[in-house]
This record gives sequence, C-alpha cells and structure tokens, in this order.
Amino acid sequence: MSLRTGRRRNGRRRVSPTPYLFLLPALVLFLVFRVYPLVNGLWLSFTSARLGRTQHTFVGLSNYERLLSDDRFLLSLVNTAYYTAASTLPILALPLLLAVALNREVPLKALLRGAFFFPFTLSVVTVGLTWLWLLDPLVGPFNYYLKRIGLPVGSLLAEPGSAMWGIVLTSVWWVTGYYLVIYLAGLQEIPRHLYEAAAIDGANALRSFWSITVPLLRPVFLFVFVIHIIGSFQIFGQVFIMTQGGPGDATRTVVQHLYETAFQNLFAFGSASAMAWVLFAVILVFSAIQFRILRGHAEY
Amino acid sequence: MRNTDRTFSPRRSATRTFARGDSAEGRPRGVSLRLRRWIVTLVMMAAAVFWLLPVIWVVINSVKLTPDIIRLPPEWIPWPITAEHYWQVLFSAYRSARIGRAFVNSGIVAVGSVALVMLTSAMAAYPLARMRFPGRNLIFALLVGSLMVPNVVTLVPQYMLVQRLGWLSTFQGLIVPEAATVLAFGVFLLRQFFLGIPTELEDAARIDGANAWQIFSRVILPLSHPAFAALAIFAFRSAWNDFLWPLIAVNKASMFTLPVALAFLRGAYMNESYGPIMAGAVLSALPLLIVFLFANRRIVEGVQLSGLKG
Repeated sequence: MSLRTGRRRNGRRRVSPTPYLFLLPALVLFLVFRVYPLVNGLWLSFTSARLGRTQHTFVGLSNYERLLSDDRFLLSLVNTAYYTAASTLPILALPLLLAVALNREVPLKALLRGAFFFPFTLSVVTVGLTWLWLLDPLVGPFNYYLKRIGLPVGSLLAEPGSAMWGIVLTSVWWVTGYYLVIYLAGLQEIPRHLYEAAAIDGANALRSFWSITVPLLRPVFLFVFVIHIIGSFQIFGQVFIMTQGGPGDATRTVVQHLYETAFQNLFAFGSASAMAWVLFAVILVFSAIQFRILRGHAEY
Repeated sequence: MRNTDRTFSPRRSATRTFARGDSAEGRPRGVSLRLRRWIVTLVMMAAAVFWLLPVIWVVINSVKLTPDIIRLPPEWIPWPITAEHYWQVLFSAYRSARIGRAFVNSGIVAVGSVALVMLTSAMAAYPLARMRFPGRNLIFALLVGSLMVPNVVTLVPQYMLVQRLGWLSTFQGLIVPEAATVLAFGVFLLRQFFLGIPTELEDAARIDGANAWQIFSRVILPLSHPAFAALAIFAFRSAWNDFLWPLIAVNKASMFTLPVALAFLRGAYMNESYGPIMAGAVLSALPLLIVFLFANRRIVEGVQLSGLKG
C-alpha cells in the first residue's frame, strides 16, 4: 500500500486532489443515478406524485396506509413470498447436486459446466417465451410427453393452483447454472485432505458430504441465499411474459403490481414508490435473518 | 472426493502398500479410476442434453415450416427446413416489432454501457486500492452497500429523472442507467484485482518520474486484462438482457432493445405462428453464445469472483 497523500515537498500535510479526480466520474454516475433516485424514491413514497403532475404534495403515510388495505397488493406480497419459498429448495439443492457431481477431474468438465450455465446467458424474455410454449397445453411438448407416460396433466399455467409452479420451473431452469458455478467455486476451496482423512476414518460419501461439504459451504450458502432472496422478491419478467399476473391474480407479484401501478394503469408514482420501499424492507429483513442464521466462519 | 466412496482401514492399506509396493497397486486402480470418471461424464452429459432440450427445441422449430411447428407428436428433426422466419423478423416491414433494428439498438446500448462501466469503475477502483485519502472507506462502503439495494427500489425515481433530462427513448437514457447499476460491482471487482498486483512495478515507475495517471494507464491497466474481460462480459450480459428498464424507458418502437422487441413480437405473432418468435429468440441469444463459446472460462471466473465475496 503506497502512501502518496503527503508527497508535497514543502512538508505541509495537504490532501492531494489526485484520488478524488480519479473517483470523480464514478461518483457523479453513482450519486446522480443511484443515490439520488434512492433518496428521492423514499421522498416520493410520502407524496401524491403522478405522471405529468409537476407539484408533489406531501401526504404523509397515506400511501403506506392505503397499501395495507389494498387487497391486490397484499396478495401480490403473499404470491411473491410463495414464489420465493417454492423456488428456494430447488435453487439451493439442484445446483449443489450438479456441482458435487462435477467437482472432480472428470473429462469434458468445462463443457458440461458450460452446458448447464448456458440458459443463464439468455434474457428473461427468451426464457419466458420458450417455457410458455413448452408448457402450452395444446401444442407444447411438455404436456404431450407427460400425457404419453400416463400422467394426468392439466394446463400448468392456466390453473390458479399450479401457475406459480410453472414460473418456478422456468426460473429454476434459468438460474441453476449460475448457482452451479458459485457452488463449484466454493467446493474447490475445501481442502482435499479433509475428505481423505474422513475416508481413512471410514466415512462414506454421504457421511462426508454432510459432515464436511455442507458445513464448510456455509459462506457459499449464505451468498446463494441472499442473492436468491434479493432476486426472487423482485421477480417480474417471467410473470410479465408468461402469465401477466394471471390466471385471476394467482401469479401477480409485487413488481408486476408495481409496474402496472406506475406505468400501465394509474401512473401513481407515489404509491408505487411506497410499494418499492415495502418490498425493500421485506428483503432487508429476510437478508438480516439469513445473516443471523448462517453467519459464522468456516475453519479449515 | 472420490476416495470417500471406498473405505480403507489405515492398517489394511498400509500392509498392502508394504506387500505389493506403490507401483504395483497404482496401475489397476488408475484404470478403474479413469473408467469411473468417464461414467460420471457420460451421466452428466445425458443430464446436460436433457437440460438443454428447451434450447434445442427452440432452435429446431425456428427453421421448421409453419404448419410443422405445432404438429404433434413433436418432431425433433426439422425437415424440410426454411429461413423464412428469420427473414421475416429481420426485414419484414409491416409488423410493429422488428428484430433487425432492435438488434442494432441492443448492440449500441450494451457496448456503450460496457465502455462507460469499464472507464468509470477502473478509474475509481485504482485510488480505492492504492491511495490513502480522507473518505476512502466511506466511499467504498457506500458502493458496496448499494449492491444490497434492489434495483426495483430506484425504478420509479430513475424514470422520473430520465424523463426530466429528456432522455426517454434515447440511447443515453438506456446506457447511463444500465452502467450505473453495474458500476458498484465493477469497482468492487477491479479493486479486488488491483489489490493483488504487486506494488514493486508501480514503485519503479514512480522512481522513473511517472505520475499517478501514467502509473494507472501504463502499469495497472495492461496488467488487468483478466479482470476487465470478466467485467466486460458481465456488463454486456446485464445490458443486453435487461428487460424492465428498457420496457419503461422506451416508448418508440424504433428504439426497442431486443428483449422488449421480442416481448412485442409475441403479441404480433403468437396467435398464428411461433416460428418468428423462436427465430427472434435464437437471434437474440447469438452474441452471448459466441462470447460464451470463446470465453467460457472468463465468464465462469467472473461469476466466481463476484461470488467469493458477497
């Protein structure tokens, strides 16, 4: 680490402008397009802002109060939580399973890893349209093959009870490769000699998975959990493309509701900002809980 | 890992080693080991093909004739094949959503946002990694903290800001906010990388009279190719695939990016044919597929770098 602040010859302690000049472009970008919107959004949530309205009157907590009695918003919050809960286990377990299988010197490892990762390079629109068609009750191959092997199939996305699971399926397919790569990085950090020692002590594969892999992956689990929670509470694209929140309001999520409130039906920016902050608070609470549960150091 | 599924008691393996010697035992185990690794590969290969079936299905159907597309049972060998869907989405004039124009728009937005992110985050990461100055820790903490803020929280105010700037339906209105969302991650990634560069080179340059900018541009930047590649791919993917922001920040069809144009393509074609939609999907996936084929390792490294320290 080099000390270059007090470099002036006259010996006076002066703060050199150099680091700030380097930081200037990034700080301008950051302050104008991240910090200002964040603060302004909080302010907006206490106003009656609307598209085209130049004067925003302060209305106190009334946007928040209205949300508490807005059944559709509350339902969208429940739906979002349902989606998050339903997708957590598959997103935690499936990539881990694949990563453990790939975490050895097998031939074509990079190719295999790449194959699972590939869907993650697609846009949510591409993924949504693809699955919309795969799950199509009339012409989609998914239903066709399920019927062929004798499973009773309805239309996954058209039934209120199952539509969210269609969304979950789509999301899991989309992001599994991303988490697989994260898990692989974590697995590579675990020293091999631990497994060798366990084998000498007579532990089988399952035993050493539970006693070595799982506890030592704790920091990775925490990362995956937090990223997953932040991402899935903001789910929008899949819903927008595949169900538009339907059937009925069965897949209406918070961001879908926010999008409609702010940009499709009401153009009520104040109320939409309040929704965003409620969602933010929920995400923060969940992240904090996860930090509490999963914190702790991995000691090798 | 693979040693764990066979259990040797220490005494037995020790006597064996004594009895037969290392080289005698190594040979047959090596063969079965290799066989077992190939079995894992074959099983995983089957799983990977199964996993990619949706992608394969889309590609196959994008070249089928329209009546063949919805035929059941699903046909996995497209014959005869046609390029009409590609032709239609790229050049057809009488549909509202044209993929050809959107392709160019997405390219401009993605490249512009990559350039902006690289420049600003590299310049910011350098003093954060190498200089001491009042406010350094605060600035870094704010940047890292902003990674925890969900993008949707700033959606509405960002829209109002861009509207006030008169940037709706413009390239800068897409590029600058996209760059701003990736900026903090870029600073974080590059700072981590710069910290790992030995300081001796900079000290030598300084003794030769180089100033901070010269050290940054002539010493640090040339050494940072791997980190730049990872960041560039990350930023490109994020701008190329983003959907929600261009959906609200653009209200002219001529400024649509690919994801938005694809979503509208669905409305234009869904009832009559999936062909053009599938062709559009394939086209939109191409650039990242190409990047991916050549830089598989870089992408993975980028993801892992981002994952190692939340």
